[in-house]
Amino acid sequence: MIRVTSLIKEYTLGGDTFRALHDVSFEVSEGMLAAIVGQSGSGKSTLLNILGGLDRATSGQYWLNGKNVGEFAPDTWAHERNRTLGFVFQSFQLIPTLTAWDNVALPLVYRRVPLKERRERARRALSEVGLANRLGHKPAQLSGGQQQRVAIARALIGDPRVLLADEPTGNLDTQTGEDIMSLLQELNRAGRTIVIVTHSQDIAQQCRQVIHIQDGRVVRDALLEEVSK
Amino acid sequence: MTWTDSFRLAVAGMWANKLRALLTMLGVIIGVGAVIVLVAIGKGASNAVASRIETLGTNVVFVSPTAGTPFSESAISYINQAIPFPVTTIGTMNTASKVSTATTSGGAQVVGTSAAYWKLGALSLAAGHFLTTNEVSQGQHVAVLGANQAISLFSGQNPVGDPLMILGQQFTVVGVLNSVGQGPGASQDNAIFIPITTASPLIGTNQLSEVMVKTGTPNQASLVSDLLTNLYNNRFGSGSMVIASEDQVLQTLQATRATFTALLAGTAAIALLVGGIGIMNIMLVSVTERTREIGIRQALGATREDIILQFLLEAMVISLSGGILGIGLGSGLVVLSPVLFKTPISFSPQSIALSFVFSTAVGLIFGLYPAFKASGLEPIQALRYDG
Ligand SMILES: Nc1ncnc2c1ncn2[C@@H]1O[C@H](COP(=O)(O)OP(=O)(O)OP(=O)(O)O)[C@@H](O)[C@H]1O
Ligand SMILES: [Mg+2]
Repeated sequence: MIRVTSLIKEYTLGGDTFRALHDVSFEVSEGMLAAIVGQSGSGKSTLLNILGGLDRATSGQYWLNGKNVGEFAPDTWAHERNRTLGFVFQSFQLIPTLTAWDNVALPLVYRRVPLKERRERARRALSEVGLANRLGHKPAQLSGGQQQRVAIARALIGDPRVLLADEPTGNLDTQTGEDIMSLLQELNRAGRTIVIVTHSQDIAQQCRQVIHIQDGRVVRDALLEEVSK
Repeated sequence: MTWTDSFRLAVAGMWANKLRALLTMLGVIIGVGAVIVLVAIGKGASNAVASRIETLGTNVVFVSPTAGTPFSESAISYINQAIPFPVTTIGTMNTASKVSTATTSGGAQVVGTSAAYWKLGALSLAAGHFLTTNEVSQGQHVAVLGANQAISLFSGQNPVGDPLMILGQQFTVVGVLNSVGQGPGASQDNAIFIPITTASPLIGTNQLSEVMVKTGTPNQASLVSDLLTNLYNNRFGSGSMVIASEDQVLQTLQATRATFTALLAGTAAIALLVGGIGIMNIMLVSVTERTREIGIRQALGATREDIILQFLLEAMVISLSGGILGIGLGSGLVVLSPVLFKTPISFSPQSIALSFVFSTAVGLIFGLYPAFKASGLEPIQALRYDG
């Protein structure tokens, strides 16, 4: 489903070049629940943003769902994100002026789904995450956990094959974090490929593949079977 | 994203900052409003001149003295003798006067003239007759009323045979003219014609206000105009008389109109430029404020085109709303203008159409840069932006 080879990402800051990813290669197969773990500053978000087409690698190859997306033009990527990917961010990234309902429906706006159908599907998506009674709330009128559930509903509404989550529980208390995690696990059991960036050993242990990153390099890439050994 | 959704988004974007949008529109509102009022005033003024020419018939040369030039009744025969072909020459002696009946009073432009005025072919009668040769030669106290005067002094009842006080003396109404209608000829409708022989002693002068020479063809008219100009330049010095054929008046009118139009276009351009810069400024602010929103939309699948359209349409909605409010404001002033300005004013539908086109264009032109700026953001940079 996801295959990257020799990914390099360099940032240029005032003439200095900083290499955030060194020759990163790995594969995540379809239906996998994978975690990317590592210390702060190790390059996890940089990697996930490249996987999501939000950022570009300096060099290397990226195959998503059989397509060489690393070479995609911006608008082709926009289309690919809309169809194939769902995003969950640590800081939720909801549009503050829109209601939960409209936030959730956004991916369908860019898929040209008619208004009526959009609203119906967004309502269903919100009730699936337990927020049927919060349709008209703006993000500021929701708790952190509720906002993250709105974001998950938004990530799922377009029925994407891959879900990318950057510290989805990082801003939440332990209990709410666990709730969100079981929601993600449930989605994975239903067949979705999920990649989670996390600090938490706890969360990593709930995944079937764990990719360790250190100073921009993959130092360990283990499947569950090996982990349990 | 569909067009309907883009449009909805643009309106919502404007609505989210109502006051700011309204203030931004102000430049366009004032610009468009000014254009509509100025066009109406300009059209009204040229209509007033055109109406005078039209009501006095064609092929007429107007002769009027500048201050200090003697111009008495004898000028008429002097002019007739100087012109080598037959013409009709009519003198008028004009003054403003209070007029009253037993029950009503008002003001009128009193025109003292001769029976030959009728030959200009500009008037038609609703009742009675025009001044006759007899009435003029005998200096009778008779009057012919313009249509508006008949209405305001006699409430529309047939006044022929009724008494009327003009210049402090009693006159008898002998005729009523048909209305020349709104615009062209309106001045005629407010006039009262009396014999020049009666007017002269009442005004206390034998100085003519104006002489009109009606010729057979436009060629003859310009010949007469040249001839009389030479004649009076030699006799009283240059500038002693204002002499103009209808052609020349029309030419002057055209020139004035052209100047006015250029001035107007300049004013409108500046106003709309200022309005446009205001819109560009506010759109740039809006793009910066909504950087994160742009990033989110890009992450969820918005293409460059979607983002461009969102901000371009928002600029156009602001600009066009300003245009519509400006049209409302301008039209309101035009409708109220008879009360406000007391000048002839004439509404122009073209200026409304033009305002629509221009305010849309302003939004389009000044919205382009902010819209392209928004669409050029990298998703990850936009998402990380904290403002
Ligand atoms: N836009 C940028 N410009 C320059 N350097 C950057 C940029 N983004 C990230 N970096 C650098 O790249 C390295 C990796 O950053 P990244 O955000 O991927 O870390 P992370 O593993 O997600 O850390 P955390 O767990 O704290 O979120 C860091 O050293 C960071 O300073
Ligand atoms: Mg990170």
